[in-house]
Amino acid sequence: MDPSEIEFLAEKTSIEMIPNFNHTSVIHLISGDVGPFRAGLPIVVPLWLALNLKQRNKCRILTPEWMDVDKLEEKKEEEKNSKFFTKMPHEHYLEVTRLLLNVASDDINRADEIKTLIKDLWDMRISKLRSSVDTFVNSGGIHATLDHLTQLEINSIRPLLPDALNMLQALQQGSDSEEEEDTSQNTTRQANATDSFLSASLPSSGE
Amino acid sequence: MSNADLSELERELLETEHLDENEEQLTAQNVLDVLEKAWLNEKFSPEILPHKSEYVECMLEQIKFMESNINLLQSTDIQVEIYRFELERIRFIITSYLRCRLKKIEQFASYILDQEKDRNVDERYLSESELKFAMEFVQHLDTHFNSVLKEMPWNLQTIEPANKNIKPNMNSYVFLRSNKTVSNVIVKDVFENRDEDVELLENSQHLLPYSCIANYVKEKSVQLL
Repeated sequence: MDPSEIEFLAEKTSIEMIPNFNHTSVIHLISGDVGPFRAGLPIVVPLWLALNLKQRNKCRILTPEWMDVDKLEEKKEEEKNSKFFTKMPHEHYLEVTRLLLNVASDDINRADEIKTLIKDLWDMRISKLRSSVDTFVNSGGIHATLDHLTQLEINSIRPLLPDALNMLQALQQGSDSEEEEDTSQNTTRQANATDSFLSASLPSSGE
Repeated sequence: MSNADLSELERELLETEHLDENEEQLTAQNVLDVLEKAWLNEKFSPEILPHKSEYVECMLEQIKFMESNINLLQSTDIQVEIYRFELERIRFIITSYLRCRLKKIEQFASYILDQEKDRNVDERYLSESELKFAMEFVQHLDTHFNSVLKEMPWNLQTIEPANKNIKPNMNSYVFLRSNKTVSNVIVKDVFENRDEDVELLENSQHLLPYSCIANYVKEKSVQLL
């Protein structure tokens, strides 16, 4: 899956914003109603709408509760001390942060610190993920539980892990019987897409 | 038309929409939800899944209806762009979903057709137009093979039908989230030749071979990720 498609899914998240215009009737969207908009009064809308209005200078986005330096600091500590993956404050934490910081960095308090923290969290989790994938494959497991991993994190190991397991399976079956079918025919690789997204997503502020 | 007329029209428009809302709003939202899940499942499952053409049709109808409504609004109205934006998003999901299915049909055409033969009309996995597409595709492929093979040395002029029949790898690994607790999922361990019992707790995420959860995907107990 292309990372941009996961970003697309992340854009469904609800977010609070303060419009600077009035629109007194409710807007009936297929995915649900929004409005009425009253200048100065906070209202919850889907992220894609908030970003669109922000780009047109029609609103101010309120920082989501979880996007707070102290809370993220705590989360980072928890993630560091835990052997397992901890529950993230939001299931699309990296994508939402990236989108907000790109479009509405002036509305976010301490944007730079948040950027670094989220990037740290991501790096920590990805390296944890890589080492657990390594252990998993080496242990010859056939089933894995991936609780608390976000969609983007899962996607980052998609080009590698399932394919590797399929390959192992095929080799095993091949050695079991000679009339083995070619199981590796339907793999399209997206390794490059994922990698480029990672490096493009949140460049660490040190760079 | 004067300005007053326009705003009158707009109000009527909103009112009619509002009437529909009470009956249709929930369903339109549900339909979108179903399509979105179907899109993700289709993307990640190795085989083609039962079609959702009735939902696709319904959503396309809805889009058409919304579009004709939008055209009645003043173009400066802030709603216009918001409506358009949402429709674009929905259209993206639908096209991506249909394209994904077409890709699978092209890849596994003859295998899929073989399977469809054994299914009743209402249990078919392909929609009517997809079925037509698949049949034509296989036909063209055969014509193409025949014309090319004629030019080959005599000992290479035939292709075993079995070699043309590409099957999806049903055992390929997929990521999934369980919508409800599913117990007794049997995972075959090909390495040690034994079965393992796995329980999928509600909302837990797993990596499993597709074959052991294929039915749960179709009955919506699990969602592929």
